[in-house]
Amino acid sequence: MRRKFWQRTLLYAVVVLWSIVCLFPFYWLFTTSFKTPLAVSRGPRYVPYVDFQPTGDHWRYLFNEQGRTLARHFRNSLIAATGATVAAVILGAMGGYGLARYRYHWRRFFNWRNDNIAFWIISQRFLPPALFVVPFLLLYSWLNLIDTHIGLIMAYTMFNVPFALWIMRDFFMSLPIELEESALVDGATPWQAFVRIVLPLSAPGLVSVAIFSFVFSWNEFLYALMLTNYEAITLPVLIAGQNNTRGIQWWYISALTLTAVAPVVLIGLMLERYITRGLTAGAIKG
Amino acid sequence: MTQPHASAHKEEGRPHERTIKRIFLMPAVIYLLLLSVFPMLWSLSISFTEYQRGAMRTAVDVGGDASAGTPAGAETPTGQGIRLTLRNYERMASDQRLHTAALNTLTYVIGGVLLQYVVGFLLALVLHQDFWGRNIARVIFLMPMMVTPVAAAYMGRMLFDSRLSPQAHLQRLLSSLIGWEISIPWFGDGRWATLAIILIDSWQWIPFMTLLLLAGMQSIPEDIYEAARVDGASSFQILRKITFPLLLPISLTAILIRGLEIFKIIDIIVVTTGGGPGSATESLTMYIFRTALTFGNFSYAAAISYALLVLVVLFATLFLMLGRRFARQSIA
Repeated sequence: MRRKFWQRTLLYAVVVLWSIVCLFPFYWLFTTSFKTPLAVSRGPRYVPYVDFQPTGDHWRYLFNEQGRTLARHFRNSLIAATGATVAAVILGAMGGYGLARYRYHWRRFFNWRNDNIAFWIISQRFLPPALFVVPFLLLYSWLNLIDTHIGLIMAYTMFNVPFALWIMRDFFMSLPIELEESALVDGATPWQAFVRIVLPLSAPGLVSVAIFSFVFSWNEFLYALMLTNYEAITLPVLIAGQNNTRGIQWWYISALTLTAVAPVVLIGLMLERYITRGLTAGAIKG
Repeated sequence: MTQPHASAHKEEGRPHERTIKRIFLMPAVIYLLLLSVFPMLWSLSISFTEYQRGAMRTAVDVGGDASAGTPAGAETPTGQGIRLTLRNYERMASDQRLHTAALNTLTYVIGGVLLQYVVGFLLALVLHQDFWGRNIARVIFLMPMMVTPVAAAYMGRMLFDSRLSPQAHLQRLLSSLIGWEISIPWFGDGRWATLAIILIDSWQWIPFMTLLLLAGMQSIPEDIYEAARVDGASSFQILRKITFPLLLPISLTAILIRGLEIFKIIDIIVVTTGGGPGSATESLTMYIFRTALTFGNFSYAAAISYALLVLVVLFATLFLMLGRRFARQSIA
């Protein structure tokens, strides 16, 4: 369909305007990380080499003097997010497969069937994390899990499993059952059919789930703040902690923040279609 | 929803099959029982006791002024004996700071959801058009969603700075142009700070709405539009009578998900205002966190967290009821 000139103009105006809204904060963060303290405190400076002279000092400071600290916290985030992702994908895929292919009837437990169970599981995802502040503090100090990687992984797995299971269940239900049935006829056990036939076919769904789990865990703040205090501090907590040490050093915070968001933004740029697919699978049919 | 187990394996199979189906589902269920259901019930029982604990140190100071949170049962030493009490729930009725936090949280939820839905819908309409550069635009529009909320909060803090940010610069230019002082005290004033927090959250989560609504629009069959156009419907009529009603189910889901997520808001507030000025921007999650960690009043924190849960459940139920009624009316 041909559109009128002014309609096209309006369309592009909105696209350009919103792209600026989306990108300008990143630009500002990026340029600020190259500004001298003086260039920051003298009001807004916009373009490097034009109204301020860029310096690489803050990046050097971040990666040299602060290099070890940064590496440690980066590693903490990586371990916590990866561990929780692996656990959530495994538990979610298994549980989702069970709910997609078998009939459950919990006679001794509210007479729940598959749909009730699935709803209960996804509802766990929307519980306010504040509910868990007190019991987790007590549980974790009792189990000596405060400030450990395994503690973070456990907490992150808890909030990642529900939607991992939900998305995977949805994905498995859309797969034809005949392939598994013929495998079963050929003498495979249900477990073998699941691992050798269903899982390879579900790679796109698994990738979506893995991306979401990883990004949620990487960005998580409340549990990390509550359950770590030195060794296992993750990047979001490290960044938030820059708030009140020696005043706000915007140039340093900018470099640090960019380092912290780079992995997830790159994931977003490269794997955009998996994200869209995962989102819509979870929400449209549910 | 399709029947998930129409052609599935038999319910009462051999003992072997009962075992295998348990093996699939039980790990996830047991995990959630241990780390979600059990802590919740434990927390509920704590909320009926008086359990104090010393303040704990965290890597980030979310302390604020401690006066408002002075422990109610300070005379009871740390978890001695178990006496059941309703005191924590009674205290909520007169806790001014709690009421402010609840009101703030509702403001964030309603303001955020409205803004995100409206802008998200418009952007989805735009992305649904065919134009050159559409795929690039989609990726750009998605980017804010991936950012760590703490990082988004710092970006917001820089851009809402009342002196050093581009928008402050713009305000100064405007002021000198019209000869009338415009100066928005973004983080200095409770209301403006609330707005700034909503704007930051929206910047981040409008993409979520856009993506979902776009997917919804793409699932509407083209021939419905064709038929409407043949009948001479205008673009606006098509939008109002076809696109919007057909998108209602997904809209409700998307709004519900976002609403429930905003109820959890804490990170943006910690970084931008720290709950201030005073406690004007404090959210319930933040207040619970402070009550537990800074003031060490575990049982009161547990009680408030249940109040938050009640609020969340009320919101979801009311929203779904109203939403379904609205959906029925607009389709009929």
